[in-house]
Amino acid sequence: MELSTEVTDGLQLSGDSAHIPDSVFGALVESVCDDLLNRENGGELQIADKFGSVDKASLKEAYAALMTFSLECAKNNADSSNISSVLEDCKFTTERIKTFTNIFLEKKSHIQALLGSVSHNPPHIVDVDWRLDYYIKNNHVDKVNQPTYLITLKTEECGQQDTKDVQFACTMEQLQDLVGKLKDATKSLEKASQM
Amino acid sequence: MLLMLEDEHKEHLAFLTSVGLDVVQEFCKISLGFIKKGSNPKMYQAAASKLGVDAETVMHGVEGLMYLFTESSKLMVNEIDFQDSIMTLGFPEDLKGLLLQQYLENRKEIRCILSEMSMDLPQYHNLEWRFDVKLASRSLKHQIDPTILLKLHIADSGERHTQVLQTDPSNLVHMTNVLDKALQEMKSQHCRRIVRNI
Repeated sequence: MELSTEVTDGLQLSGDSAHIPDSVFGALVESVCDDLLNRENGGELQIADKFGSVDKASLKEAYAALMTFSLECAKNNADSSNISSVLEDCKFTTERIKTFTNIFLEKKSHIQALLGSVSHNPPHIVDVDWRLDYYIKNNHVDKVNQPTYLITLKTEECGQQDTKDVQFACTMEQLQDLVGKLKDATKSLEKASQM
Repeated sequence: MLLMLEDEHKEHLAFLTSVGLDVVQEFCKISLGFIKKGSNPKMYQAAASKLGVDAETVMHGVEGLMYLFTESSKLMVNEIDFQDSIMTLGFPEDLKGLLLQQYLENRKEIRCILSEMSMDLPQYHNLEWRFDVKLASRSLKHQIDPTILLKLHIADSGERHTQVLQTDPSNLVHMTNVLDKALQEMKSQHCRRIVRNI
């Protein structure tokens, strides 16, 4: 885990009880983790009453450093020993290391899930709708008499709220082909999971 | 199902009785060619001067045949109904036989051409799949995220386009099951009954 001097400075500041009192430290770490997970907040530090008379500039610096540190820890899947060795270097007391580790490790998997979703993906299929029609005739041809399936794939895309539809029609033979291929994929997936 | 021929149409076709069978055969060839490749009015003039009639008569004859063939193909008129439909034209036996033969030989192809003209929805063409496991990304190292990439080929009015989609194992299983059920639905009593009765 590599941290810039800015971050290590910030961490040192947040470990220093002269700047960030013990009474405030736990609340600060909690709001860092909560803000990471609660994206609607936009990552803005809510300077609530719980931080009392702490100097705002120090608070801001500590908050930024703790947030970067938490993200780095989650990104590198750091465990408590990795975390303590870094924090010890930044002159944290054992008590503060414990506070940070407890709060952070509890939220780590959630933060990692969030980080895992940050990437550019093709539209992700989350559901499928179908409808079966019997195609009887049109203005050019009578007696077409063919079963036709209308398939709608519901997809989700990164950073978009609504699902998008991918629609196509297929005959019975085409649907058989499609299902056959999906079954192949499922089977090879099952095989891979047993390896 | 019988084909209802209009009087004007009958008049146009009546010209065919005044020429020899080989000429009618040539007319059939021309009209089928026009159906397949589009019409070429220059041919009317050439044929008309050869036969010593005016171009309009030739045009009506050819167009009459085109209409006869396309309408019967559209309605999928069967052999007996086709014979009965053209009975009203008062053609001799050999001429009727020739028309029937030409109709039966070309019906499939004409229906093909007609269905190409019909309105069509984007149609499934092919699906390719690939199984990946995401191991790391810039924002998160050490991850194991199985992903199925799907490339969907869709044909839309003659043009093909592809779309890349992805899904996860549980959605893949879900999707396979749902679509498999859709396939089984066609074998259900309800669907079979409807299909049988139409």
